[in-house]
Amino acid sequence: MDEVKYSLKDYKSDLKPIWCPGCGDYGVLNALMQAFVKLQIPPHQMALISGIGCSSRLPGYINTYGFNGIHGRAIPLATGVKLSNPDIKVIAVGGDGDGFSIGAGHIPHAARKNIDMTYIVMNNNIYGLTKGQASPTTPVGEQTKTTFYGNMDEPINPVRMMIAYKASFVARVFSGDPKNAIEVITQAIQHRGFSFVEVLSPCPTFRGVEQFKLIREKVRHLPEDYQPTDEVRAFDIANDNDFIRLGVIYRQDRPIYTDIMRKMQQVSEKMGKPEILNLLKQFEP
Amino acid sequence: MASNNIVIGIAGSGGDGVISAGEILVNAASSDGLFVFMLKSFGAQIRGGESSVRVRMSSEPVATQGDKLDILVVLSWKDYLKFQSEMLLEDHVVILSDSEDSFSEENIPIPADKLKNWYKVPFNQLATNAAGTSLAKNIAMLGVISELFNLPKTALEKSVKKKFSSKRDDVIEKNLNALKAGRDYVKKEIEKKDSVLFEYTPGDPRIVMEGNEATAFGALYAGVEFYAGYPITPSTEIMHWLSVYLPRYNGVVIQMEDELASINAVVGASFAGRKAMTATSGPGVSLMSEGIGLAGMAELPIVVINVQRGGPSTGIPTKTEQADLMQAIWGSHGDAPRVVIAPSDVEDCFDCTVLAFYIAEKYQLPVIVLSDAFIGHRKESINPNRFRDLKYGFKKINRRITPTEKELEDYHRFKITKNGISPVTWPGMEKGMYQAAGIEHNEKGFPSSDVSVHSRMTKKRWEKFREIKREFSFERFYGPDDAELGVIAWGSTKGAVKEAVARANANGIKVQAIIPQILYPFLIQPFHDFLRHKKRVIFVEMAYAGAFRRYLRGFVRFGDFGVETVSYRQTGGAPFTVGQIYDKIVEEYEKKDA
Repeated sequence: MDEVKYSLKDYKSDLKPIWCPGCGDYGVLNALMQAFVKLQIPPHQMALISGIGCSSRLPGYINTYGFNGIHGRAIPLATGVKLSNPDIKVIAVGGDGDGFSIGAGHIPHAARKNIDMTYIVMNNNIYGLTKGQASPTTPVGEQTKTTFYGNMDEPINPVRMMIAYKASFVARVFSGDPKNAIEVITQAIQHRGFSFVEVLSPCPTFRGVEQFKLIREKVRHLPEDYQPTDEVRAFDIANDNDFIRLGVIYRQDRPIYTDIMRKMQQVSEKMGKPEILNLLKQFEP
Repeated sequence: MASNNIVIGIAGSGGDGVISAGEILVNAASSDGLFVFMLKSFGAQIRGGESSVRVRMSSEPVATQGDKLDILVVLSWKDYLKFQSEMLLEDHVVILSDSEDSFSEENIPIPADKLKNWYKVPFNQLATNAAGTSLAKNIAMLGVISELFNLPKTALEKSVKKKFSSKRDDVIEKNLNALKAGRDYVKKEIEKKDSVLFEYTPGDPRIVMEGNEATAFGALYAGVEFYAGYPITPSTEIMHWLSVYLPRYNGVVIQMEDELASINAVVGASFAGRKAMTATSGPGVSLMSEGIGLAGMAELPIVVINVQRGGPSTGIPTKTEQADLMQAIWGSHGDAPRVVIAPSDVEDCFDCTVLAFYIAEKYQLPVIVLSDAFIGHRKESINPNRFRDLKYGFKKINRRITPTEKELEDYHRFKITKNGISPVTWPGMEKGMYQAAGIEHNEKGFPSSDVSVHSRMTKKRWEKFREIKREFSFERFYGPDDAELGVIAWGSTKGAVKEAVARANANGIKVQAIIPQILYPFLIQPFHDFLRHKKRVIFVEMAYAGAFRRYLRGFVRFGDFGVETVSYRQTGGAPFTVGQIYDKIVEEYEKKDA
């Protein structure tokens, strides 16, 4: 391995998280920084992009370039950064409300374009920052601030949705299982293309400490021999109601957007890059 | 009536080649050095339906499409009916129509006295005989009118050749035959009973541009590197043009899933250090409002072009209006400073876009360019040399300022400076890591809900306005300073105002017009200077609620100057005519004397 140049403290910002004690997001922050150390990404070569929500505060806690944008728009914001500077590692982070409710329209497009970025969604099945309303992943029947008589809506299954959108890397981890989380997030960042990681990140404040326990009971790592390239198998895993499977559930290799973009630029360059004023010729009568 | 200024209107069905004919005519006139102005009008259909063009050509500069038609060519009476209110006729109008049109003559909605110079010509048959296809009937028609009215002839041939240059040789040949057949028909079959004749001396060739092309070209000239957008009429040609040319200059054009995504991608690109823009129309700006506020808060330069259309809501997508002024200035939430610039003709579309990038990059804020369908979709002839050595091109300011080595030792991205501008870094730069945010932040970029921080940072963001007002002043004045009657207008109504004022002054009516280019921040002094001698001013705007007048009254105390204000406004669709504004000037001038 190369010389270790960057350690945890290089990635840590001066800002203290405002998350509640016991929040799953601490685990995500830690796993993310550990992945950076493993990958030795120079902090200035990274951009962490987020929308709005508890989890979207995360970029502020890491010492890289960061952008805490507006609700639901982390993905297009990150797309703009990535296409402007393809050498930068771009990581979008956010929560289930930010990503799957207001921002849901952007996900299929980043996935189908295969924008080379990592999207980490900290799923706690609730809106935390606005203090406890139902989110798109809140289970049916649950009482929240906006579902007094029980949640009526079928929850989104993020992994299944992402496989359906042909995201080229789909994984799930648990913030209470740091070893696996670090490993999978590291792979996600290394993946060339749009990589998605759902992090089960419990909210002790609005979902109670028992959420941790419930998840811990249901999670299982994927079998050793699991092949994530089989889409049908991946759907089976996503649909599994008995256990919540952790690991890289689906992956495929296909060209990334910036590679295609560069090819297109090469084709257009062959058509010439005239001095700009020479373009006026096309307007001659 | 021999004149060096002639207005021709052509109306027909989608497949009649009406717009092609207009383009060929405009190119011919431009290549002979004439000043031209072409306005297209069509319904919202995709193919077929009705379409029309108005072409004005003159050996003197022209600022509008002309009020009334000297010549009307009707390829289909049924389709002409849809444009009747847009295509007003001179008393001496000459009408040409297809003799094979089955439309019943008694239903033609033109008074008999305007039908006295009416030629019925078998355009279809001429084309079929000469070119073997009725598709060339628009070309045969050009042959007829060029012969009948002395329009540029050699240039017209050249222009037809150019139009079909990508086709096989025999296609060019067939069209030239159609053109000749049209001419021969006039020589042999028409006994000229009208007196309309065009007279001109050829000059140096001029180029022909549409407003949206000029905007796109201006963006490229200013060094745009990133474009994200979503198609919307009438702005889409900007994206079309850039998607051809921007990649050749290593730039990126990306079609996003909606306007929300577009504006955020643009903000992201700007955060990454690129000169970034989008173009849309009013409904798109509505969706982008939150993102525009984000750019304001994060102090990132972006350029947003709004090619306005008739509103509200979906409104009339293919027609023009000036009703997005308040949206441009105040749209988005919070105290979110942005600069608003309004181009007033095709050349201005270029200038304003270049200027927009200059201001955005220098002052690190969003700049909105308020174009509209009237300038976006029209063609004008332009002297090609005017694009050299522009004041605010990329040579002048290439990019936002970056911090010095010393400043990087303890970098404060949002450092409070005297003029509000602080040096900026972007991902990839080794030392200047910072957090951009839509959330209020301190000088370092860290989130803060401290009211004193909010107060200081808000002030910082607005401080830029003071500097911008110092650096720029873009008003255009027409007419004598000491006139007691004034006209105030903005954007695309300039052309009609300019010609109306010139006509009034020529007729001994003293009137002066002021047209501001930068609408926000508002520059009071030029208006105060303008008002010094005025007793009465007319606001001209293509917006029913009169937003411009209301806006200006917030800054200028017209009453203190003893100035009476009059609002002259109409809804969008058909742009103002010179005659309308002239009549209003006369009306108000006479009131003043009374």
